[in-house]
Amino acid sequence: MGEHVEFMGKDIYFWNFIVLMFFTLFEVGAVFYDVVPGTDIAITKSAVWAILIIVGIIKGFGIAAFFMHLKDDPRIYTRTALFPVLFVLLMLWGIGLSNPAGVTDLPSWCTPNWDYATNR
Amino acid sequence: MSGHGSHVENGIWMRAVMMGGIILTIGVLLFATLGIALADGKHDTWKQLEDDYHHEEEVLAAQGNITEAQAKHLVHMHHEEVDAHLSYLTYRVAGITILLMSITYAAFIGIGGFLNASKPQADHGDGHDEHEHHGSSSPIVFAFGIMLFLMGFPDFVVACKAMLSSDATADLSMLAISMLGLVTIVIAVSNWWFEDLPFVGHGEQIATSYPFEGEHIRKAGLWVFIMSEIMVFATFFSSYLRMRTEWCTDWAIRDGVEACKDVPEGTVVTASDLLRYDFGTLLPGAINTFALIISSYTIVLALKTAKNANWKPSTGFMGKLMPTRQAAVRNYLIATLALGSLFIVLKLVEWSHLVAEGFDIGTVQGSIFYIATGAHGLHVFIGLLVMLYLVFKADTVGFDEDNAQGIEYFGLYWHFVDLAWVVIFPAFYLY
Repeated sequence: MGEHVEFMGKDIYFWNFIVLMFFTLFEVGAVFYDVVPGTDIAITKSAVWAILIIVGIIKGFGIAAFFMHLKDDPRIYTRTALFPVLFVLLMLWGIGLSNPAGVTDLPSWCTPNWDYATNR
Repeated sequence: MSGHGSHVENGIWMRAVMMGGIILTIGVLLFATLGIALADGKHDTWKQLEDDYHHEEEVLAAQGNITEAQAKHLVHMHHEEVDAHLSYLTYRVAGITILLMSITYAAFIGIGGFLNASKPQADHGDGHDEHEHHGSSSPIVFAFGIMLFLMGFPDFVVACKAMLSSDATADLSMLAISMLGLVTIVIAVSNWWFEDLPFVGHGEQIATSYPFEGEHIRKAGLWVFIMSEIMVFATFFSSYLRMRTEWCTDWAIRDGVEACKDVPEGTVVTASDLLRYDFGTLLPGAINTFALIISSYTIVLALKTAKNANWKPSTGFMGKLMPTRQAAVRNYLIATLALGSLFIVLKLVEWSHLVAEGFDIGTVQGSIFYIATGAHGLHVFIGLLVMLYLVFKADTVGFDEDNAQGIEYFGLYWHFVDLAWVVIFPAFYLY
Protein backbone atom coordinates (compact mmCIF):
# COMPACT_ATOMS: atom_id res chain seq x y z
CA MET A 1 0.00 0.00 0.00
CA GLY A 2 1.09 3.53 -0.73
CA GLU A 3 1.11 4.64 2.90
CA HIS A 4 4.29 2.62 3.51
CA VAL A 5 6.26 4.76 1.03
CA GLU A 6 7.24 7.93 2.86
CA PHE A 7 9.03 11.09 1.74
CA MET A 8 9.99 13.80 4.25
CA GLY A 9 7.91 12.03 6.88
CA LYS A 10 4.69 12.11 4.82
CA ASP A 11 3.08 9.29 2.86
CA ILE A 12 2.44 9.19 -0.88
CA TYR A 13 -1.22 10.21 -0.43
CA PHE A 14 -0.22 13.49 1.16
CA TRP A 15 2.24 14.34 -1.62
CA ASN A 16 -0.29 13.31 -4.26
CA PHE A 17 -2.77 15.67 -2.62
CA ILE A 18 -0.21 18.52 -2.69
CA VAL A 19 0.60 17.87 -6.37
CA LEU A 20 -3.12 17.87 -7.27
CA MET A 21 -3.68 21.16 -5.45
CA PHE A 22 -0.63 22.76 -7.10
CA PHE A 23 -1.62 21.74 -10.63
CA THR A 24 -5.20 22.89 -10.10
CA LEU A 25 -3.88 26.34 -9.14
CA PHE A 26 -1.62 26.21 -12.18
CA GLU A 27 -4.43 25.43 -14.66
CA VAL A 28 -6.74 28.10 -13.23
CA GLY A 29 -3.85 30.62 -13.43
CA ALA A 30 -3.04 29.64 -17.01
CA VAL A 31 -6.56 30.57 -18.09
CA PHE A 32 -6.90 33.63 -15.90
CA TYR A 33 -3.81 35.43 -17.20
CA ASP A 34 -3.51 36.70 -20.79
CA VAL A 35 0.29 36.99 -20.50
CA VAL A 36 2.85 35.19 -18.36
CA PRO A 37 2.98 37.34 -15.17
CA GLY A 38 5.98 39.70 -15.19
CA THR A 39 6.63 39.27 -18.93
CA ASP A 40 5.11 40.22 -22.29
CA ILE A 41 4.78 36.60 -23.38
CA ALA A 42 1.18 36.01 -24.48
CA ILE A 43 -0.61 32.82 -23.40
CA THR A 44 -2.28 31.72 -26.64
CA LYS A 45 -5.38 29.55 -27.06
CA SER A 46 -3.21 26.65 -28.21
CA ALA A 47 -0.92 27.07 -25.20
CA VAL A 48 -3.90 27.03 -22.83
CA TRP A 49 -5.24 23.94 -24.58
CA ALA A 50 -1.88 22.19 -24.23
CA ILE A 51 -1.58 23.19 -20.54
CA LEU A 52 -5.11 21.96 -19.75
CA ILE A 53 -4.52 18.60 -21.44
CA ILE A 54 -1.11 18.02 -19.81
CA VAL A 55 -2.31 19.11 -16.36
CA GLY A 56 -5.45 16.96 -16.80
CA ILE A 57 -3.32 13.90 -17.59
CA ILE A 58 -1.07 14.54 -14.55
CA LYS A 59 -4.05 15.02 -12.23
CA GLY A 60 -5.90 12.04 -13.68
CA PHE A 61 -2.82 9.85 -13.21
CA GLY A 62 -2.41 11.06 -9.62
CA ILE A 63 -6.01 10.23 -8.70
CA ALA A 64 -6.19 6.90 -10.55
CA ALA A 65 -2.71 5.59 -9.67
CA PHE A 66 -2.47 6.62 -6.02
CA PHE A 67 -5.91 7.50 -4.60
CA MET A 68 -7.62 4.65 -6.50
CA HIS A 69 -4.62 2.34 -5.86
CA LEU A 70 -4.33 1.24 -9.50
CA LYS A 71 -0.55 1.47 -9.22
CA ASP A 72 -0.39 -1.28 -6.56
CA ASP A 73 -3.54 -3.27 -7.41
CA PRO A 74 -3.57 -6.22 -9.84
CA ARG A 75 -3.37 -5.19 -13.50
CA ILE A 76 -6.90 -6.45 -14.23
CA TYR A 77 -8.31 -3.33 -12.53
CA THR A 78 -6.23 -1.03 -14.74
CA ARG A 79 -7.39 -2.97 -17.81
CA THR A 80 -11.00 -2.66 -16.63
CA ALA A 81 -10.60 1.10 -16.19
CA LEU A 82 -8.93 1.48 -19.59
CA PHE A 83 -11.42 -0.72 -21.48
CA PRO A 84 -13.80 2.20 -22.23
CA VAL A 85 -10.91 4.02 -23.92
CA LEU A 86 -11.71 1.92 -27.01
CA PHE A 87 -15.17 3.47 -27.08
CA VAL A 88 -13.77 6.94 -26.40
CA LEU A 89 -11.46 6.54 -29.40
CA LEU A 90 -14.39 5.37 -31.53
CA MET A 91 -16.38 8.43 -30.48
CA LEU A 92 -13.44 10.72 -31.24
CA TRP A 93 -13.23 9.08 -34.68
CA GLY A 94 -16.95 9.79 -35.02
CA ILE A 95 -16.26 13.45 -34.27
CA GLY A 96 -13.86 13.51 -37.20
CA LEU A 97 -16.42 11.91 -39.50
CA SER A 98 -19.35 14.11 -38.53
CA ASN A 99 -17.49 17.44 -38.27
CA PRO A 100 -17.68 19.55 -41.45
CA ALA A 101 -13.92 19.93 -41.30
CA GLY A 102 -13.72 16.15 -41.56
CA VAL A 103 -14.45 16.38 -45.29
CA THR A 104 -11.38 18.39 -46.14
CA ASP A 105 -9.06 18.67 -43.16
CA LEU A 106 -8.69 15.12 -41.87
CA PRO A 107 -6.27 12.67 -43.47
CA SER A 108 -7.88 10.38 -46.04
CA TRP A 109 -7.22 7.19 -44.06
CA CYS A 110 -9.76 8.16 -41.41
CA THR A 111 -12.52 9.45 -43.68
CA PRO A 112 -14.90 7.42 -45.82
CA ASN A 113 -15.08 7.85 -49.57
CA TRP A 114 -16.26 11.47 -49.70
CA ASP A 115 -16.01 11.53 -53.52
CA TYR A 116 -19.24 9.56 -53.61
CA ALA A 117 -21.01 12.27 -51.61
CA THR A 118 -19.69 15.16 -53.70
CA ASN A 119 -19.80 13.64 -57.21
CA ARG A 120 -23.04 11.64 -57.25
CA MET B 1 -13.34 -1.09 18.49
CA SER B 2 -16.87 -2.35 18.52
CA GLY B 3 -16.67 -3.55 14.95
CA HIS B 4 -15.34 -6.99 15.90
CA GLY B 5 -18.20 -9.45 15.80
CA SER B 6 -20.59 -7.11 17.57
CA HIS B 7 -24.29 -7.83 17.39
CA VAL B 8 -26.18 -4.79 16.17
CA GLU B 9 -29.26 -4.12 18.24
CA ASN B 10 -32.24 -2.78 16.32
CA GLY B 11 -32.35 0.10 18.79
CA ILE B 12 -29.08 1.41 17.34
CA TRP B 13 -31.04 2.30 14.23
CA MET B 14 -32.97 4.86 16.23
CA ARG B 15 -29.71 6.81 16.34
CA ALA B 16 -30.08 7.15 12.57
CA VAL B 17 -33.46 8.79 13.14
CA MET B 18 -31.80 11.14 15.65
CA MET B 19 -29.02 11.85 13.15
CA GLY B 20 -31.67 12.76 10.57
CA GLY B 21 -33.24 15.17 13.10
CA ILE B 22 -29.86 16.83 13.80
CA ILE B 23 -29.16 17.24 10.07
CA LEU B 24 -32.63 18.72 9.49
CA THR B 25 -32.18 21.17 12.37
CA ILE B 26 -28.80 22.32 11.00
CA GLY B 27 -30.36 22.67 7.54
CA VAL B 28 -33.31 24.75 8.81
CA LEU B 29 -30.99 27.02 10.85
CA LEU B 30 -28.68 27.59 7.88
CA PHE B 31 -31.69 28.25 5.63
CA ALA B 32 -33.08 30.76 8.09
CA THR B 33 -29.70 32.53 8.31
CA LEU B 34 -28.58 32.43 4.67
CA GLY B 35 -31.79 31.99 2.70
CA ILE B 36 -34.03 34.31 4.70
CA ALA B 37 -32.23 36.80 6.99
CA LEU B 38 -29.15 37.56 4.85
CA ALA B 39 -30.94 37.04 1.51
CA ASP B 40 -33.74 39.47 2.48
CA GLY B 41 -31.15 42.13 3.31
CA LYS B 42 -29.45 41.55 -0.06
CA HIS B 43 -32.85 41.64 -1.77
CA ASP B 44 -33.62 45.07 -0.32
CA THR B 45 -30.23 46.39 -1.43
CA TRP B 46 -30.76 45.00 -4.94
CA LYS B 47 -34.26 46.48 -5.24
CA GLN B 48 -32.98 49.89 -4.08
CA LEU B 49 -30.13 49.84 -6.62
CA GLU B 50 -32.49 48.64 -9.36
CA ASP B 51 -34.95 51.48 -8.62
CA ASP B 52 -32.09 54.01 -8.58
CA TYR B 53 -30.84 52.70 -11.92
CA HIS B 54 -34.26 52.83 -13.61
CA HIS B 55 -34.91 56.29 -12.16
CA GLU B 56 -31.56 57.58 -13.49
CA GLU B 57 -32.30 55.97 -16.85
CA GLU B 58 -35.67 57.76 -17.09
CA VAL B 59 -34.14 61.11 -16.02
CA LEU B 60 -31.41 60.84 -18.67
CA ALA B 61 -33.91 59.73 -21.33
CA ALA B 62 -36.06 62.80 -20.58
CA GLN B 63 -32.97 65.01 -20.65
CA GLY B 64 -32.12 64.00 -24.23
CA ASN B 65 -28.40 64.78 -24.67
CA ILE B 66 -26.29 62.55 -22.42
CA THR B 67 -22.68 63.38 -21.65
CA GLU B 68 -19.98 60.71 -21.68
CA ALA B 69 -19.64 60.96 -17.89
CA GLN B 70 -23.37 60.45 -17.43
CA ALA B 71 -23.35 57.41 -19.73
CA LYS B 72 -20.41 55.94 -17.80
CA HIS B 73 -22.21 56.59 -14.53
CA LEU B 74 -25.33 54.81 -15.87
CA VAL B 75 -23.28 51.78 -16.90
CA HIS B 76 -21.64 51.78 -13.47
CA MET B 77 -25.07 51.85 -11.81
CA HIS B 78 -26.21 48.97 -14.01
CA HIS B 79 -23.17 46.89 -13.01
CA GLU B 80 -23.83 47.64 -9.35
CA GLU B 81 -27.46 46.55 -9.75
CA VAL B 82 -26.43 43.30 -11.51
CA ASP B 83 -23.81 42.57 -8.81
CA ALA B 84 -26.42 43.15 -6.10
CA HIS B 85 -28.82 40.78 -7.88
CA LEU B 86 -26.16 38.05 -8.11
CA SER B 87 -25.25 38.59 -4.45
CA TYR B 88 -28.92 38.15 -3.50
CA LEU B 89 -29.16 35.00 -5.63
CA THR B 90 -26.04 33.59 -3.94
CA TYR B 91 -27.57 33.72 -0.46
CA ARG B 92 -31.11 32.72 -1.49
CA VAL B 93 -30.04 29.76 -3.65
CA ALA B 94 -27.45 28.62 -1.09
CA GLY B 95 -30.09 28.71 1.67
CA ILE B 96 -32.73 26.85 -0.36
CA THR B 97 -30.20 24.25 -1.58
CA ILE B 98 -29.00 23.57 1.98
CA LEU B 99 -32.61 23.20 3.15
CA LEU B 100 -33.54 20.78 0.33
CA MET B 101 -30.35 18.78 0.82
CA SER B 102 -30.87 18.52 4.58
CA ILE B 103 -34.49 17.38 4.03
CA THR B 104 -33.27 14.67 1.61
CA TYR B 105 -30.45 13.62 3.97
CA ALA B 106 -32.83 13.51 6.94
CA ALA B 107 -35.46 11.58 4.96
CA PHE B 108 -32.95 8.98 3.75
CA ILE B 109 -31.14 8.33 7.02
CA GLY B 110 -34.27 8.90 9.13
CA ILE B 111 -36.66 6.66 7.17
CA GLY B 112 -33.94 4.03 6.68
CA GLY B 113 -33.21 4.05 10.42
CA PHE B 114 -36.89 3.94 11.37
CA LEU B 115 -37.65 1.01 9.02
CA ASN B 116 -34.70 -0.98 10.37
CA ALA B 117 -35.48 -0.15 14.00
CA SER B 118 -39.01 -1.49 13.41
CA LYS B 119 -37.78 -4.84 12.08
CA PRO B 120 -37.90 -7.95 14.31
CA GLN B 121 -34.57 -8.59 16.06
CA ALA B 122 -32.33 -10.61 13.69
CA ASP B 123 -31.77 -13.93 15.45
CA HIS B 124 -31.80 -16.98 13.23
CA GLY B 125 -31.34 -19.39 16.15
CA ASP B 126 -29.50 -21.89 13.93
CA GLY B 127 -25.95 -21.06 14.86
CA HIS B 128 -25.50 -19.41 11.49
CA ASP B 129 -22.97 -16.58 11.37
CA GLU B 130 -25.20 -13.65 10.58
CA HIS B 131 -22.20 -11.31 10.23
CA GLU B 132 -20.96 -13.18 7.21
CA HIS B 133 -21.36 -11.14 4.03
CA HIS B 134 -24.15 -12.80 2.03
CA GLY B 135 -25.04 -12.07 -1.53
CA SER B 136 -27.76 -9.44 -1.31
CA SER B 137 -30.95 -8.93 -3.30
CA SER B 138 -31.07 -5.25 -2.30
CA PRO B 139 -29.11 -3.93 -5.33
CA ILE B 140 -31.58 -5.62 -7.70
CA VAL B 141 -34.56 -4.20 -5.80
CA PHE B 142 -32.80 -0.81 -5.78
CA ALA B 143 -32.29 -0.96 -9.57
CA PHE B 144 -35.95 -1.95 -10.02
CA GLY B 145 -36.98 1.10 -7.94
CA ILE B 146 -34.83 3.37 -10.11
CA MET B 147 -36.44 1.87 -13.22
CA LEU B 148 -39.95 2.62 -11.87
CA PHE B 149 -38.93 6.13 -10.84
CA LEU B 150 -37.46 6.92 -14.25
CA MET B 151 -40.48 5.44 -16.06
CA GLY B 152 -42.73 8.02 -14.44
CA PHE B 153 -40.13 10.81 -14.29
CA PRO B 154 -40.91 12.59 -17.60
CA ASP B 155 -44.40 13.44 -16.30
CA PHE B 156 -43.39 13.58 -12.64
CA VAL B 157 -42.49 17.27 -12.57
CA VAL B 158 -45.47 18.22 -14.75
CA ALA B 159 -47.85 16.34 -12.44
CA CYS B 160 -46.28 17.94 -9.34
CA LYS B 161 -46.69 21.42 -10.86
CA ALA B 162 -50.30 20.67 -11.84
CA MET B 163 -51.09 19.42 -8.33
CA LEU B 164 -49.55 22.51 -6.74
CA SER B 165 -51.75 24.73 -8.88
CA SER B 166 -54.83 22.56 -8.12
CA ASP B 167 -55.07 21.49 -11.75
CA ALA B 168 -57.42 18.50 -11.98
CA THR B 169 -55.91 17.37 -15.29
CA ALA B 170 -52.68 16.14 -13.66
CA ASP B 171 -51.60 12.70 -14.90
CA LEU B 172 -51.48 10.93 -11.54
CA SER B 173 -50.69 7.50 -12.98
CA MET B 174 -47.15 8.55 -13.91
CA LEU B 175 -46.76 10.34 -10.60
CA ALA B 176 -47.86 7.17 -8.82
CA ILE B 177 -45.30 5.07 -10.71
CA SER B 178 -42.54 7.51 -9.78
CA MET B 179 -43.60 7.56 -6.13
CA LEU B 180 -43.74 3.75 -6.09
CA GLY B 181 -40.20 3.79 -7.48
CA LEU B 182 -39.05 6.17 -4.72
CA VAL B 183 -40.63 3.98 -2.02
CA THR B 184 -38.94 0.89 -3.54
CA ILE B 185 -35.60 2.74 -3.57
CA VAL B 186 -35.93 3.74 0.11
CA ILE B 187 -36.92 0.17 1.17
CA ALA B 188 -34.06 -1.35 -0.87
CA VAL B 189 -31.51 1.10 0.52
CA SER B 190 -32.64 0.63 4.13
CA ASN B 191 -32.51 -3.15 3.70
CA TRP B 192 -29.06 -2.85 2.12
CA TRP B 193 -27.88 -0.88 5.16
CA PHE B 194 -29.51 -3.44 7.48
CA GLU B 195 -27.50 -6.21 5.82
CA ASP B 196 -24.24 -4.26 5.80
CA LEU B 197 -24.20 -2.69 9.26
CA PRO B 198 -23.24 -5.86 11.19
CA PHE B 199 -20.58 -6.77 8.62
CA VAL B 200 -17.23 -6.99 10.38
CA GLY B 201 -15.10 -8.09 7.45
CA HIS B 202 -15.32 -11.87 7.70
CA GLY B 203 -16.62 -13.89 4.74
CA GLU B 204 -15.96 -11.39 1.94
CA GLN B 205 -16.93 -13.20 -1.25
CA ILE B 206 -14.02 -14.01 -3.56
CA ALA B 207 -14.26 -14.37 -7.34
CA THR B 208 -13.36 -17.88 -8.48
CA SER B 209 -13.07 -17.43 -12.22
CA TYR B 210 -11.17 -15.38 -14.80
CA PRO B 211 -10.50 -12.45 -15.08
CA PHE B 212 -11.02 -11.39 -11.44
CA GLU B 213 -9.99 -14.74 -9.91
CA GLY B 214 -8.96 -14.30 -6.27
CA GLU B 215 -10.26 -10.74 -6.05
CA HIS B 216 -13.10 -9.50 -3.84
CA ILE B 217 -16.34 -9.72 -5.82
CA ARG B 218 -17.57 -6.37 -4.46
CA LYS B 219 -14.38 -4.62 -5.58
CA ALA B 220 -14.50 -6.22 -9.04
CA GLY B 221 -18.18 -5.24 -9.36
CA LEU B 222 -17.36 -1.69 -8.33
CA TRP B 223 -14.69 -1.44 -11.03
CA VAL B 224 -17.06 -2.79 -13.69
CA PHE B 225 -19.58 -0.17 -12.52
CA ILE B 226 -16.90 2.54 -12.78
CA MET B 227 -16.09 1.28 -16.28
CA SER B 228 -19.72 1.86 -17.30
CA GLU B 229 -19.61 5.30 -15.69
CA ILE B 230 -16.51 6.22 -17.70
CA MET B 231 -18.53 5.43 -20.84
CA VAL B 232 -21.41 7.65 -19.68
CA PHE B 233 -19.13 10.63 -19.07
CA ALA B 234 -17.17 9.92 -22.27
CA THR B 235 -20.47 10.27 -24.15
CA PHE B 236 -21.11 13.71 -22.63
CA PHE B 237 -17.55 14.79 -23.25
CA SER B 238 -17.40 13.59 -26.85
CA SER B 239 -20.72 15.26 -27.73
CA TYR B 240 -19.39 18.51 -26.21
CA LEU B 241 -16.10 18.14 -28.08
CA ARG B 242 -17.96 17.45 -31.32
CA MET B 243 -19.86 20.72 -31.03
CA ARG B 244 -17.09 22.76 -29.41
CA THR B 245 -14.66 22.17 -32.28
CA GLU B 246 -17.22 23.70 -34.63
CA TRP B 247 -18.32 26.71 -32.57
CA CYS B 248 -16.88 30.13 -33.40
CA THR B 249 -16.50 31.40 -29.85
CA ASP B 250 -15.08 34.87 -29.17
CA TRP B 251 -11.83 33.22 -28.13
CA ALA B 252 -11.57 31.37 -31.47
CA ILE B 253 -12.37 34.58 -33.39
CA ARG B 254 -9.76 36.63 -31.50
CA ASP B 255 -7.22 33.86 -31.92
CA GLY B 256 -7.64 34.13 -35.71
CA VAL B 257 -9.19 30.73 -36.44
CA GLU B 258 -9.63 30.68 -40.24
CA ALA B 259 -13.17 29.24 -40.27
CA CYS B 260 -14.37 32.00 -37.92
CA LYS B 261 -12.95 35.06 -39.71
CA ASP B 262 -16.36 36.31 -40.93
CA VAL B 263 -18.26 35.52 -37.73
CA PRO B 264 -19.01 38.50 -35.43
CA GLU B 265 -18.04 38.24 -31.75
CA GLY B 266 -20.82 37.23 -29.37
CA THR B 267 -22.45 34.81 -31.86
CA VAL B 268 -21.69 31.73 -29.75
CA VAL B 269 -21.47 32.13 -25.97
CA THR B 270 -20.30 29.16 -23.89
CA ALA B 271 -20.40 28.84 -20.10
CA SER B 272 -16.63 29.28 -20.00
CA ASP B 273 -16.99 32.65 -21.81
CA LEU B 274 -19.14 33.84 -18.89
CA LEU B 275 -17.04 32.23 -16.17
CA ARG B 276 -13.33 32.30 -16.86
CA TYR B 277 -12.54 36.02 -17.34
CA ASP B 278 -13.57 37.26 -13.90
CA PHE B 279 -12.25 36.09 -10.53
CA GLY B 280 -15.70 36.29 -8.94
CA THR B 281 -17.42 34.16 -11.59
CA LEU B 282 -14.65 31.56 -11.76
CA LEU B 283 -14.43 31.31 -7.96
CA PRO B 284 -17.31 28.81 -7.30
CA GLY B 285 -15.96 26.37 -9.92
CA ALA B 286 -12.40 26.76 -8.62
CA ILE B 287 -13.48 26.28 -4.99
CA ASN B 288 -15.45 23.20 -6.07
CA THR B 289 -12.35 21.73 -7.71
CA PHE B 290 -10.33 22.21 -4.53
CA ALA B 291 -13.25 20.91 -2.41
CA LEU B 292 -13.38 17.65 -4.40
CA ILE B 293 -9.60 17.16 -4.23
CA ILE B 294 -9.58 17.82 -0.47
CA SER B 295 -12.56 15.47 -0.02
CA SER B 296 -10.67 12.77 -1.94
CA TYR B 297 -7.82 13.20 0.54
CA THR B 298 -10.10 13.17 3.63
CA ILE B 299 -11.67 9.88 2.56
CA VAL B 300 -8.17 8.45 2.05
CA LEU B 301 -7.34 9.61 5.60
CA ALA B 302 -10.54 7.92 6.88
CA LEU B 303 -9.50 4.65 5.21
CA LYS B 304 -5.90 4.93 6.39
CA THR B 305 -7.03 5.60 9.96
CA ALA B 306 -9.53 2.69 9.90
CA LYS B 307 -6.83 0.30 8.66
CA ASN B 308 -4.21 1.42 11.18
CA ALA B 309 -4.46 -0.91 14.19
CA ASN B 310 -1.67 1.07 15.92
CA TRP B 311 -3.38 4.42 15.50
CA LYS B 312 -2.64 6.94 18.24
CA PRO B 313 -4.29 10.36 18.73
CA SER B 314 -2.29 13.46 17.85
CA THR B 315 -1.39 16.05 20.43
CA GLY B 316 -3.02 19.48 20.48
CA PHE B 317 -6.20 20.52 18.69
CA MET B 318 -6.37 17.51 16.34
CA GLY B 319 -6.05 15.20 19.35
CA LYS B 320 -9.07 16.84 20.97
CA LEU B 321 -11.02 16.71 17.71
CA MET B 322 -10.18 13.04 17.14
CA PRO B 323 -9.53 11.42 20.53
CA THR B 324 -10.19 7.84 19.35
CA ARG B 325 -9.74 5.94 16.10
CA GLN B 326 -13.52 5.58 15.75
CA ALA B 327 -14.01 9.34 16.21
CA ALA B 328 -11.20 10.07 13.73
CA VAL B 329 -12.73 7.87 11.01
CA ARG B 330 -16.17 9.38 11.61
CA ASN B 331 -14.87 12.96 11.57
CA TYR B 332 -12.87 12.45 8.37
CA LEU B 333 -16.06 11.09 6.77
CA ILE B 334 -18.07 14.06 8.09
CA ALA B 335 -15.45 16.38 6.57
CA THR B 336 -15.86 14.55 3.23
CA LEU B 337 -19.65 14.88 3.52
CA ALA B 338 -19.37 18.62 4.28
CA LEU B 339 -17.02 19.22 1.32
CA GLY B 340 -19.29 17.29 -1.05
CA SER B 341 -22.30 19.25 0.21
CA LEU B 342 -20.37 22.50 -0.36
CA PHE B 343 -19.79 21.34 -3.94
CA ILE B 344 -23.55 20.95 -4.57
CA VAL B 345 -24.40 24.31 -2.96
CA LEU B 346 -21.78 26.20 -5.00
CA LYS B 347 -22.80 24.36 -8.16
CA LEU B 348 -26.41 25.53 -7.84
CA VAL B 349 -25.33 29.07 -6.89
CA GLU B 350 -23.19 29.15 -10.03
CA TRP B 351 -26.09 27.81 -12.16
CA SER B 352 -28.40 30.51 -10.77
CA HIS B 353 -25.85 33.18 -11.77
CA LEU B 354 -25.55 31.74 -15.29
CA VAL B 355 -29.33 31.57 -15.73
CA ALA B 356 -29.64 35.18 -14.46
CA GLU B 357 -27.14 36.18 -17.15
CA GLY B 358 -29.29 34.53 -19.81
CA PHE B 359 -27.30 31.30 -20.21
CA ASP B 360 -30.07 28.72 -19.86
CA ILE B 361 -30.73 25.18 -21.07
CA GLY B 362 -32.55 26.47 -24.18
CA THR B 363 -29.35 26.75 -26.24
CA VAL B 364 -27.12 23.94 -27.52
CA GLN B 365 -24.23 25.31 -25.44
CA GLY B 366 -26.45 25.53 -22.35
CA SER B 367 -27.98 22.10 -22.92
CA ILE B 368 -24.67 20.20 -23.02
CA PHE B 369 -23.24 22.26 -20.14
CA TYR B 370 -26.18 21.69 -17.78
CA ILE B 371 -26.62 18.02 -18.73
CA ALA B 372 -22.92 17.18 -18.27
CA THR B 373 -22.32 19.19 -15.09
CA GLY B 374 -25.77 18.19 -13.78
CA ALA B 375 -25.06 14.49 -14.31
CA HIS B 376 -21.79 14.95 -12.45
CA GLY B 377 -23.57 16.84 -9.64
CA LEU B 378 -26.11 14.02 -9.40
CA HIS B 379 -23.27 11.53 -8.98
CA VAL B 380 -21.83 13.69 -6.19
CA PHE B 381 -25.23 13.89 -4.49
CA ILE B 382 -25.84 10.11 -4.67
CA GLY B 383 -22.34 9.66 -3.23
CA LEU B 384 -23.28 11.98 -0.35
CA LEU B 385 -26.34 9.85 0.48
CA VAL B 386 -24.09 6.78 0.70
CA MET B 387 -21.61 8.78 2.78
CA LEU B 388 -24.39 9.53 5.29
CA TYR B 389 -24.66 5.81 5.95
CA LEU B 390 -20.87 5.48 6.26
CA VAL B 391 -20.88 8.28 8.87
CA PHE B 392 -23.65 6.44 10.71
CA LYS B 393 -21.76 3.14 10.61
CA ALA B 394 -18.53 4.84 11.68
CA ASP B 395 -20.40 6.36 14.64
CA THR B 396 -22.13 3.17 15.76
CA VAL B 397 -20.47 -0.12 14.75
CA GLY B 398 -17.23 1.50 13.62
CA PHE B 399 -14.66 0.72 10.95
CA ASP B 400 -11.38 -1.06 11.60
CA GLU B 401 -8.67 -2.97 9.74
CA ASP B 402 -11.09 -5.87 9.14
CA ASN B 403 -14.15 -4.11 7.73
CA ALA B 404 -12.60 -0.99 6.16
CA GLN B 405 -13.53 -2.28 2.69
CA GLY B 406 -16.79 -0.29 2.96
CA ILE B 407 -14.80 2.96 2.97
CA GLU B 408 -12.30 1.65 0.40
CA TYR B 409 -14.95 0.66 -2.17
CA PHE B 410 -17.00 3.80 -1.66
CA GLY B 411 -13.73 5.75 -1.91
CA LEU B 412 -13.17 4.30 -5.39
CA TYR B 413 -16.50 5.73 -6.50
CA TRP B 414 -15.75 9.07 -4.84
CA HIS B 415 -12.31 9.31 -6.48
CA PHE B 416 -13.95 8.52 -9.82
CA VAL B 417 -16.33 11.46 -9.30
CA ASP B 418 -13.23 13.61 -8.63
CA LEU B 419 -11.57 12.19 -11.74
CA ALA B 420 -14.62 13.06 -13.88
CA TRP B 421 -14.44 16.63 -12.54
CA VAL B 422 -10.76 16.78 -13.53
CA VAL B 423 -12.00 16.44 -17.14
CA ILE B 424 -15.22 18.48 -16.86
CA PHE B 425 -13.72 21.51 -15.09
CA PRO B 426 -11.08 22.44 -17.70
CA ALA B 427 -13.33 21.48 -20.65
CA PHE B 428 -16.47 23.33 -19.58
CA TYR B 429 -15.12 26.10 -17.34
CA LEU B 430 -11.64 26.97 -18.53
CA TYR B 431 -11.49 26.17 -22.25
